[in-house]
Amino acid sequence: MAEASEYLVYTKNLVKRFGDVVALKGINFKVNYNEVVGLVGDNGAGKSTLAKILAGIYVPDEGEIYIKGQRFRRLTPQKARELGIELVHQERTLAEDHPIWRNIFMGREITGPLGFLRIREMRMASEKLLNEIGLRAISADTPVKFLSGGYKQGVQIVRAVQFEADLVILDEPTIQLSISEVHRVLNYVRELKKRGRSCVFITHNIYHVYPVADRFTILDRGRIVAEFRKADLSIEDLSHILVSVARTGRIPEKYEKINLLYTE
Amino acid sequence: MKRRNPRGSSLVNLIIGIWSKYSLQSTILLIFCAVWLVFYAISPASFARPFTYIAIMSVAPFTIIPALSLTYVIITGEIDLSFPSVMAFGAWVLTVTWHAFGPTILGPILALLAGLLAGLINGLLITKCRIPSFIATIGTLFFWRGFVLIATEGFSIPLGMFRGTPVYEALVGRISGVPAQLFWMVLIAVVLWLFLNLHKFGAHVYYTGDNRLAAQMLGIDTDKVLTIVFMIHGMISAFAGILVTLEMGSFWPALGEIYMLESIAAVIVGGTPITGGTGTIFGTFIGGLILKWIETGILAVGVTGFWIKLVYGLVIIVALVAQVMIRRRELRRHRIFGA
Repeated sequence: MAEASEYLVYTKNLVKRFGDVVALKGINFKVNYNEVVGLVGDNGAGKSTLAKILAGIYVPDEGEIYIKGQRFRRLTPQKARELGIELVHQERTLAEDHPIWRNIFMGREITGPLGFLRIREMRMASEKLLNEIGLRAISADTPVKFLSGGYKQGVQIVRAVQFEADLVILDEPTIQLSISEVHRVLNYVRELKKRGRSCVFITHNIYHVYPVADRFTILDRGRIVAEFRKADLSIEDLSHILVSVARTGRIPEKYEKINLLYTE
Repeated sequence: MKRRNPRGSSLVNLIIGIWSKYSLQSTILLIFCAVWLVFYAISPASFARPFTYIAIMSVAPFTIIPALSLTYVIITGEIDLSFPSVMAFGAWVLTVTWHAFGPTILGPILALLAGLLAGLINGLLITKCRIPSFIATIGTLFFWRGFVLIATEGFSIPLGMFRGTPVYEALVGRISGVPAQLFWMVLIAVVLWLFLNLHKFGAHVYYTGDNRLAAQMLGIDTDKVLTIVFMIHGMISAFAGILVTLEMGSFWPALGEIYMLESIAAVIVGGTPITGGTGTIFGTFIGGLILKWIETGILAVGVTGFWIKLVYGLVIIVALVAQVMIRRRELRRHRIFGA
């Protein structure tokens, strides 16, 4: 097995319990530099739990987290953010009544002497980023409540880009979005990859994640059951595998030889 | 949104621009002007005299000053019902201090500290004990009132003998006829406006009310924000309390009671929704002026004071309906980007 320091994120035997329920049963999860990982699995597989541990919101009961080779027993949201991990939540972390630029800089405002805001600077940086990520038509002064669901995800992604996150974790970013909006969110992910960042794309919709991911990690009832390179399988294969995992908890035998868990 | 073609005069465009950006505040200002015009039409004699305005300005600060800091509290999505008792507590501390040590700056300082303490207790009850602010501050409302009643045995304490001393005059004296409390009110409004709109703390106050969970996930210590907001409100309420007591020339244990609903009404009429997240100091300022204008106007017109409550009620309802309509129209007319 490769060294932990080679990965952007590497977890070793992560265990998380909620009372009697064991949500994660020894997870060895890894993300390479400049890689989009599709974290797929059925509801209750533990995808969001894993994301929240990486973002410092949950504390694991056992196991270790390595970020850029640095070892941690646990993270806090602040620490995770300092290390360059940004979670775009399922629940929206936006202040709806406030303009986009304020939302982008929420909690990390640029301030001058005595803590007064540098409004012009933040507004201009926001305009620039919105342009770059393809939200050209929108002024940074627009209140977030006037944006559609896809654009709201966009604002959260812009926030991650602004603060130079190395890893952006998108937790079900396409849920409740229209087709054109899903398309938009997928473009944001491609943009992140182009900028050399990594991304964990959590979803149970493989049709959304397949086009953008480099690698898939399949989670089932708290365990990683398989990992595949996209090059090794078609979307039909992936769909076939997921159905099998949901039914039997195992992947079909013919795919075992390309399962990275055993070949790496 | 598409910009208007600047074909007409630039002044008209500027006005239209400001109006559409600040439609809520503009409406409040319009209501204020309407109220003023109505009273002016009914009773031109009294509303043409500067005396009427000085009369309004000598009492309006007592309602508006606590309403200004209450705006912060309501923007965070919380409420403080204890401030009328904190006003009395602060005023009592000043009264006792002056009777013991004379009318020095020590009195106001200790009164402000008392207000900070009362605010800190509210803040801790809400953030550490997780008691909803509505209930926690009902508790402290009774506590501080009871405290003052026990301490004074229900009696008033005169302060008139200190009139003419420098600190007294600086707080509620007359500066070429204009009551000093007016300047204090404007000063407090400007400082609170500045921090709410241009400072990091004000931004955090808004986020705490708009989406507290999001604010926490993005690393904002919302408990700290809330505690500081309640402390500021406690301190400013205590300051309003000492202005009231000095203006009247005596301390009485029921001081502050009448300001509870008036100050809350000023915030609401001023366009801050009780659910928090948005709101302006400017709105509260004008909202408070509207209410005081009505009160003085009704008395000046010469009908019985019983009408005051009725007209208050009407204006509050009209203002709220107008606000709801503006918000709905704004949502309806605004294009949803990306939909």
